[in-house]
Amino acid sequence: MNMHADFSPVETQEPAILIDQVNKQFGAVTAIENLSFHVNRGEIVSFLGRTGAGKSTALNLIMGNMSPTSGRVRVMGMDPNKDFRKLRRTISVGFQTDRLLPWRTAIENVELGLQILHYHKAEIREKAREWLARVNLADAADLYPHELSGGMRQRVSLARALAIDPEILLLDECFSQLDHVTSQTLRSDVSAVIREYRKTCLFITHRIDDAIEMADRILVLGAPARLLLEVSPTPEDRTDRDKFQLLHDKIADALGVDS
Amino acid sequence: MSSNDTTMTRTTASVFNFSSLIKRDRFAGLIVILLIIAALQVASLFAPDYIAPPPLLIAEKLWTQILPLWDEILVTLIRLLVALVFAMVVGTVLGVVMGMLPGLRPYIRSLVVIDTGIPALSWMLIAVFWFKEPEIRIFFIMSVILIPFYALNVFDGIRALPKEWLEMCESFRPSRWQVLRYLILPHIVAYVFTTTRSVIGYATRMVIFAELIASAVGIGAQMGLAQANFDIAAVFAWTLLLVVLNILSQSLVAVLEKRVLSYRPEVEVR
Ligand SMILES: Nc1ncnc2c1ncn2[C@@H]1O[C@H](COP(=O)(O)OP(=O)(O)OP(=O)(O)O)[C@@H](O)[C@H]1O
Ligand SMILES: [Mg+2]
Repeated sequence: MNMHADFSPVETQEPAILIDQVNKQFGAVTAIENLSFHVNRGEIVSFLGRTGAGKSTALNLIMGNMSPTSGRVRVMGMDPNKDFRKLRRTISVGFQTDRLLPWRTAIENVELGLQILHYHKAEIREKAREWLARVNLADAADLYPHELSGGMRQRVSLARALAIDPEILLLDECFSQLDHVTSQTLRSDVSAVIREYRKTCLFITHRIDDAIEMADRILVLGAPARLLLEVSPTPEDRTDRDKFQLLHDKIADALGVDS
Repeated sequence: MSSNDTTMTRTTASVFNFSSLIKRDRFAGLIVILLIIAALQVASLFAPDYIAPPPLLIAEKLWTQILPLWDEILVTLIRLLVALVFAMVVGTVLGVVMGMLPGLRPYIRSLVVIDTGIPALSWMLIAVFWFKEPEIRIFFIMSVILIPFYALNVFDGIRALPKEWLEMCESFRPSRWQVLRYLILPHIVAYVFTTTRSVIGYATRMVIFAELIASAVGIGAQMGLAQANFDIAAVFAWTLLLVVLNILSQSLVAVLEKRVLSYRPEVEVR
């Protein structure tokens, strides 16, 4: 599986993601204020927070696109900004919008990450096919993005993120543009895959229901991003209606949303 | 190059479906051609032949005197093609360097802007001083005139690259070369085509002009010869040929563009 010479499996005892007393300023704007949390390996953690809370900024810090104003960000024990290339193949991102390249067909879009990671040609095709089939798009492989519906495009983009078989998956509201039914099916598909392959996942959402259904742990953020509440939904919280409602209200209270 | 010589479209490549427009345009074009022929015919009745030759004489010249010179025509076309391809490659490289290496950008940009301010005629005269070999003269003239168009348009194309795409691509932690190969180059193909489409008419005029000044073979040189012989009908016939060649080359680029950029959605504009 590991065909790639410049990739060495990352073996540390540290959590998959560690955010330690992080502050992030954009000029006068404070996006993140003294935020600390961690995500263990194989854990699914959900980020809940109102718009502008700094969720995407936190995600960008974890991706290594930017560095914090102060504090420590570690992914698999490494600095994602300074050790940018060392974390190849470790992190993959599902974005808020599909971000498909218009000159590539659906399957070619799925292949992008595999090409960047220098997989063998035959393996690239094979894996891309496999993942397109898994998001129910086997028949759309040769269609261009403009020939796909919004939901199909979002599924292609998820297949692209998953195809490189990352250890850590970051999902930024990537279901929120879809209608309720599509979003639900896709969400359960993706969480099945994440659990099956024991991936670490941090997903951003503004829907409390989604967070309770998917996450092992929920982090509720205030604005600027700091921890307001941390809860771990139990299986009963998901199945028992009253318990579900109770947890929902608790989170909504913390968010300051009327429910 | 004087800025009013050609209007450059530096906007994003248009994604419009031109076919319906083209149909209407063809009809209008036919009428305009007929009117021009009629006007020439009328003028030839009142003016002597060395000022306004009758259309039939022009057609005869074209057939008996100009088309047999197909080797001269071919020379011009090859010069045009070579210069165009060279300018495309060098201009694209410069544009990409400007887009990807911010440290070099201001220097290349200044160079390109200064170049665009130099009139084509200056380059032609300079080329005659600098080089003896006509082929090199023409190649030089064409290159310095055409490269800036490609460089500036490709640079604009890179600036117009959506930041989201770059972020998406970088989430896989690519090398610089991979960003270039998988994202930037495919993205600027459309810009290279738009530039070619808008520059090819200008390039044709410039190659003729350069041949007139710097060479003894080619359409430009032949036109100079016709002028020296007071053969106005031949000048008209060459001009006619050039117009036709220009239309053909433009359609050729359009067809190529349509094929290569077939991934783009067709938008009907009503
Ligand atoms: N690159 C940037 N430059 C300047 N300010 C920024 C930048 N990125 C984010 N901000 C600011 O930081 C704050 C947090 O933005 P962020 O995008 O992280 O919010 P969010 O929680 O993801 O919101 P949403 O739910 O609407 O996506 C906002 O006030 C925003 O204006
Ligand atoms: Mg966001």
